Amino acid sequence: MKSIYKIVSIAICMSCLSCSDDFLDKSDPTRLNAGTFYQTEEQFDQAVNALYGGLQTIISNQWQFGEFISDNTTLHYNVENRGNGPGLETLEYWQYIEGTSNVQSLYESLYQQLVNVNTVLQRLPGADINENAKSGFEGQAKFIRAYLYFQLVQHFGDVILLTEPIDEPSVAWTYARSPASDVYAQIESDLTDAASVLPPTLDASDIGRVSKGAALSLLGKVYLTRKNYGSAVTTLQQVLTLGYDLLDDYYDVFDPDMKNHAESIFDVQFQGDNDLGEQSGFTYNFYPRQSDGLVIPFPGVSGGGWNIPSLDMIAAYEEDDLRKDVSLAEGYFDQDDNWVAIPFIKKYYHDHSIQDRPDDNWPVIRYSDVLLMLAEAINEESGPGSAYTHLNKVRKRAGLDELDGLTKESFRTAVLKERRVELAFENHRWFDLKRTHTPDELATFLNAYGEIEKANPTTSRGGFGFTSAEYSFQPHEYLFPIPASERLINKELTQNQGYQQ
Amino acid sequence: MKSNLLQQLFTLMKYSLLIIIIQTISLNLLLADIVNAQKAQSIREVSISLESSQTKLFAILREIESKTDYKFAYNGKDLKKLNYINTSKDKTSVYEILYEIARQTGLDFKQVNQTINVSQSKKKNGGEVKIKTAIEPIKLTGVITDEMGEPMIGVTVRVQGSNTGMITDVNGKYSIEADTDAILLFSFVGYITEQIPVGNRTVIDVQMRLDAQQLEELVVVGYGSKRKADITSAVSVVDMKDMGNQPASNAARFLRGKAAGVVVTQGSGTPGQEMSVMIRGVSSLGTDQRPLYVVDGFPVGNEMGKNLNPNDIESISVLKDAASTAIYGARGSNGVVLITTKRAKEGEVSITASANYGFQNIPDSRRVKMMSGPEYAQWRKEQFIEKSILAGNGVPSIDDIPENYRYPEQTKYSTDWFDEIMNHNAAFENYNVTLSSGKGDVKSLVSVSYLNQEGAVIKTNFERFNIRANIDGKINNFISMGLNIVGSHSNERFANTTNRDAIIGKALWADPREPVFNEDGSWNDYIGGNGGTFGSANPVMELHQTKNTQGRSNLTSNGYMQITFLKDFKFRTSVNTSITNFKRNEFRPSTLAGTGFDQAPPRNATLAESYTNWINVSADQLLSYSKSIENHQFDVMLGYTSQEQTDRSLSGTGNTFPDDEIRFLDNAENTTTSSSESSWSLLAYFARLNYSYKGKYLMSASYRREGSSRFGKNNLWGTFPAVSVGWRLSEEAFMSDLSFLSDLKLRASFGVTGNNNIGEYNNSSNLSTEGYIIGGQYASGQKLSGFVNTNLGWEQSDQLDIGLDLMAFDNKLSFTAELYKKITNDMLLSAPLPIITGFSSTLTNLGKVENKGLELAIGYRTNVGQDLRLRGDFNIAFNKNKVLEINGDNDELWTGGFYGTYNRSTVGRPIGVFVGYQMLGIFNTQAEIDASPVQDGAIPGVYKYADINNDGIISYSNTGGDMVEIGNPHPDFTWGLTLGADYKGFDLNVLFTGAQDYDISRQIEKTTLNMDGVFNILAEAKNRWKSAEDPGNGWIPTSSHWKWERETNSRYIYDASHMWVKSITLGYTLPSTTPVLAGTRFYFNIDNLLIVTNYPGNNVDIDRSDGRSFGDDDEAYPVPRIVTLGASIRF
Repeated sequence: MKSIYKIVSIAICMSCLSCSDDFLDKSDPTRLNAGTFYQTEEQFDQAVNALYGGLQTIISNQWQFGEFISDNTTLHYNVENRGNGPGLETLEYWQYIEGTSNVQSLYESLYQQLVNVNTVLQRLPGADINENAKSGFEGQAKFIRAYLYFQLVQHFGDVILLTEPIDEPSVAWTYARSPASDVYAQIESDLTDAASVLPPTLDASDIGRVSKGAALSLLGKVYLTRKNYGSAVTTLQQVLTLGYDLLDDYYDVFDPDMKNHAESIFDVQFQGDNDLGEQSGFTYNFYPRQSDGLVIPFPGVSGGGWNIPSLDMIAAYEEDDLRKDVSLAEGYFDQDDNWVAIPFIKKYYHDHSIQDRPDDNWPVIRYSDVLLMLAEAINEESGPGSAYTHLNKVRKRAGLDELDGLTKESFRTAVLKERRVELAFENHRWFDLKRTHTPDELATFLNAYGEIEKANPTTSRGGFGFTSAEYSFQPHEYLFPIPASERLINKELTQNQGYQQ
Repeated sequence: MKSNLLQQLFTLMKYSLLIIIIQTISLNLLLADIVNAQKAQSIREVSISLESSQTKLFAILREIESKTDYKFAYNGKDLKKLNYINTSKDKTSVYEILYEIARQTGLDFKQVNQTINVSQSKKKNGGEVKIKTAIEPIKLTGVITDEMGEPMIGVTVRVQGSNTGMITDVNGKYSIEADTDAILLFSFVGYITEQIPVGNRTVIDVQMRLDAQQLEELVVVGYGSKRKADITSAVSVVDMKDMGNQPASNAARFLRGKAAGVVVTQGSGTPGQEMSVMIRGVSSLGTDQRPLYVVDGFPVGNEMGKNLNPNDIESISVLKDAASTAIYGARGSNGVVLITTKRAKEGEVSITASANYGFQNIPDSRRVKMMSGPEYAQWRKEQFIEKSILAGNGVPSIDDIPENYRYPEQTKYSTDWFDEIMNHNAAFENYNVTLSSGKGDVKSLVSVSYLNQEGAVIKTNFERFNIRANIDGKINNFISMGLNIVGSHSNERFANTTNRDAIIGKALWADPREPVFNEDGSWNDYIGGNGGTFGSANPVMELHQTKNTQGRSNLTSNGYMQITFLKDFKFRTSVNTSITNFKRNEFRPSTLAGTGFDQAPPRNATLAESYTNWINVSADQLLSYSKSIENHQFDVMLGYTSQEQTDRSLSGTGNTFPDDEIRFLDNAENTTTSSSESSWSLLAYFARLNYSYKGKYLMSASYRREGSSRFGKNNLWGTFPAVSVGWRLSEEAFMSDLSFLSDLKLRASFGVTGNNNIGEYNNSSNLSTEGYIIGGQYASGQKLSGFVNTNLGWEQSDQLDIGLDLMAFDNKLSFTAELYKKITNDMLLSAPLPIITGFSSTLTNLGKVENKGLELAIGYRTNVGQDLRLRGDFNIAFNKNKVLEINGDNDELWTGGFYGTYNRSTVGRPIGVFVGYQMLGIFNTQAEIDASPVQDGAIPGVYKYADINNDGIISYSNTGGDMVEIGNPHPDFTWGLTLGADYKGFDLNVLFTGAQDYDISRQIEKTTLNMDGVFNILAEAKNRWKSAEDPGNGWIPTSSHWKWERETNSRYIYDASHMWVKSITLGYTLPSTTPVLAGTRFYFNIDNLLIVTNYPGNNVDIDRSDGRSFGDDDEAYPVPRIVTLGASIRF
């Protein structure tokens, strides 16, 4: 009976305790609340760290849209499992449409990151924190915003331009696309701001963040893309003064033991072989699908068979190019020592002791990229002239002869080829091709490559021939379609030409 | 505290037993006296002395009347002419006096009890003297049993038309004296009164029948109970007494087929698995469709729980319309299931024990037939040849055919993997003992139960222990209290089943040419993985070696105190608590191949372990007032409730162990750990008024105001009103001519209910961790994790219900009809957001869905002759579901996938209809392909799809305009039929259930008819398309291609209309005359006996209750047929 009294007394207590709305006020004890965050310097530091963290995801999928879609790489056709048919393969074969899931993911991943950038930039001005720290945060956030919009505008053309987060869902359904020129103006403005506040050199404890050099390099690339060669040259030349240099050995550039070296202007940082969850996730996609522990040194582990160097790419290397063996392998030996001629990317292939946790960084901007951009810009503005120095510096390191005596056109071709092999599998190829070709030229160029690949596929198709729609590039495919899912819920959103309107 | 309680309980039991014995004895003595006093004595036994030896006949008769209790009945005319009669004056028996009169006058005398009839003899003079006495009282005995064959105590036994009567003792026995022409009446509250003529028998055993439809019966409703006759809303009652010891591991099984509009599906045969219950259709696009379960007044959530002992349940009420559920406010919109557990019955002390034992098997008819080893090899060989021809290489020579399947007839092994993982004759056992004491001011009940159900799949099982103790006491005339404590513990060894990578799917597609064991007796640890067949783990080995267990312990207590004051007021305060500890452990040893394809062993062992603790507390305060003034009856209730639940969990995973023996995280090379906590709370004030006028005009109104922690700051509180009215026409004077009608009631109700099943913390914007590496060190980061909607509020349903209840022909016939319309507004829908907000969706209140339907229930019970009783109950429910609005007119909600099945919700159509390509047939020739709309890459033998948008191209995308609705997962109607018969000691019950006109997408066929040659496939794939001349059965494509076969299309949609013979129970109760075990009932039950359907899969019961994607059959744990034998005995 005692227990009954006890329960009754608890009941009476409870009924009194729970008479107010306080009883209904529940917040997630496992997480921070956005309403009270973004106040202190430490909190902004964490918010900015997450902006970089978000780049890890974006960069890990970028191979699909920068490399795989181009003539550099192809896939190991999986006869038995067609599961990636409507996704990844549509990129390789240029069959993407409004509903292609991977294009949709790309679009989404960029905007998902933008909201965090815009939130930081919206909350910063009102924050009561050290002004130096504030401008540092602002510079980093603006760089990242510019990087994201640069991706968006190059892939999709006109896009919705937002510089502040949206609070009310009701307004989100009515935004229209801004002209690409407006987007570029915002990118240039953000990068100019970033370059003015970011430090030219980073303290050891800040390695991994963006610096002035990163902002200038990216701004140079934006000018180059806009064919604003004069500005490109002056901007990129500033980078030459910041103390970057090429490493002697091309292999070292990608060696995780050498991370963040003199040639690295901006790497997305990863760290493997531990429990931090910051390991790189991209490399396993690139190894042969049926290699079963022979390439990835863990029993039974195979790669994805994606993004494998095409025969065309392999042939692009000049004889004696030291970069070839660092960048790719043309096959591997199976258990019985038979050669399996499935090429794969070797650049990011480094030992790691825990399965699935490689240690490789992703090089976003390298000094050799800056040198080649500068060479390209100088040539476009005023012909080869002083551009040779920059191009040949890169060639020399690769063990190749220096070039001389080229026309403007042949120099342009030489730079493009040099970029192809120097920056192979670093997700530059697609934008390089788009920058240097009109849509019609690109169609001619890619369809020629498609014919080669169809006639002599890099890997066996298991008896399945190519359909006429595979490797058929139409000029409008120069831009990706705006995902149908977004247009379904925003009637203001127009579609790029050539896609279902 | 617990031991004190038990001690108290035992003391109580002891006293109660003593009391009942004394009571029974004294009652018997008392009744015996009455019988003696009232008994008519025979005229032979009564002696008198007449005043004179010769007098007139009339005088003699009058003198006898005055000196005894006898009365004479005669026709004066007969006696008129008779004069003086000579008799003896000495004391002599009345009989002798009358004998003398008869001898002298020729009159006949006949004594019937106290009356002596006098009549002129029909015969002429000289006939024999006739004096008859009809007083030969018979001593009758017998045993009264209830519908379960258990002896009933306290049944009133009466002789019709007399005051003679008694009640049965603890053994259900009675003994009474009555004449041969008397009629005995047996009556007990809640049972049909039996009238049995005595005849020549001396032993009359009676089995009482429940009067389930008695209008006085109390029905449990939200926060109270109500007379059935007074109910004005849609409530279905499932009485456990009708169930009769069926083998049940989960109580939802009792709802199967029993209540119109309540659809119970068993999507999986996993032992102990909770079934899915859905009431009146799918009403929400966003949240789930499960009802709220309330056990003994405690809202426990959207699951009744695996740990509830079905044997403890007394009754289940299903509240279907808003008038009955609005009192549960924001949780009422999917219906409410009220479960009442057993408490000691008034005046009854008993021990009941029952035992069930049975076997479970998957019947052959419900097994999927895959190819045998040689068949598979033969098919692979044919496929190779066909592909070679297609590639233009002609017929390959025998040496070109891979060795792996070059000679199919030489295939060494043929393993039926599905059969190998079956646990043949899996055991089912269940034991219950209930001790109940209902005498005196303190009543108590203790029940103990053990259940062990082996799985139909090897190495799986479910085991449960339950103990329940409750006590109700009256402290004095105005305070009473009660406490109910339930402890339970369940252990489960489970296998991950649903989908093709899980164990059932794997057993279907694994290479049949491989043996279970190697020749040396060791496990064959890698199946397939050569010659183009995907490698998989050995399913049998996987079941033996993975040890997946989960267990939950629960302690629930419900306590109350009730105070009656000022005559008409009652205050009841109650507290409910439930503490659950859940643990889960999954270990996959290194010896097993991976879960996916082509992952040969050895691999790194993995372990996942988690512990969760739930604490749920609720407190209710109820004040009620009940008053009857002349013809007006009022019941008013005011209530206040609060509830809070907190979950805490700790979990860890680890991989790479030095050995497979020590299965603890400490031993893992790599580990992760996490812990979390979440909680919700609600508060509500509510009121209800019931009013009736002359028991004829009925009205009920309720109101609830509820606040929930789950909603946005601007919408914390919601209001849920409901009103219902009823009119009992049968009470009206103008209906009195229709005397066959015992009840006729018309009723209507309207109310507003809510749904808050959206999970925790959707109303606040939180951050999630996103780290980075800076300066070579980990740098923690925080990013936004969701879009906050401060206006988030209730999903609201408005429901109108019109009903009719009828009972006729002495309550033999009962009929209920309900017509309802329910509109759900402001659904808690994860609405797609433009990605520019940073998020692809947010929970919003939008959309509108309508469910309307008709429910009919009809019951009939009758007696045929003395011994045969028949009963039948049929219910049928039609429900039409329609989306009225989403986010704008053109909005569509899609779930599913291109190589799965899309479910689409659009305005004007039911929720989640199947969408895909319309398959028109199979292309036979290239010419046919050329003449058809472009299907890029199609070859003869693939499916031909319809060009829905007529653009000449079949787009390989769900946005290409070529997908249409290809099926509807919602049945037109569902029904249940129970037929029963009792004959002497036998009882038979058969339950049928069915659903009509709905579709299932047989998702697993994308694997089991995957023509790539990488899996084993259905045996019927032998009839695939081979050539224009040999096109097979017309729906299995060529094995030379992959495209245009597996995309979501109409080919995979099957009509699943069906009828289940769900259960058959046959029982026999030993008569009370049996020397031992009298009254024991033996029974035999078959569950899931037979299914009549065209659907080819092993189960038509695909869960339809979850969200808006349903109807996908990905081969779940098969549902076994269960055969059990059992006995129950009661002391």
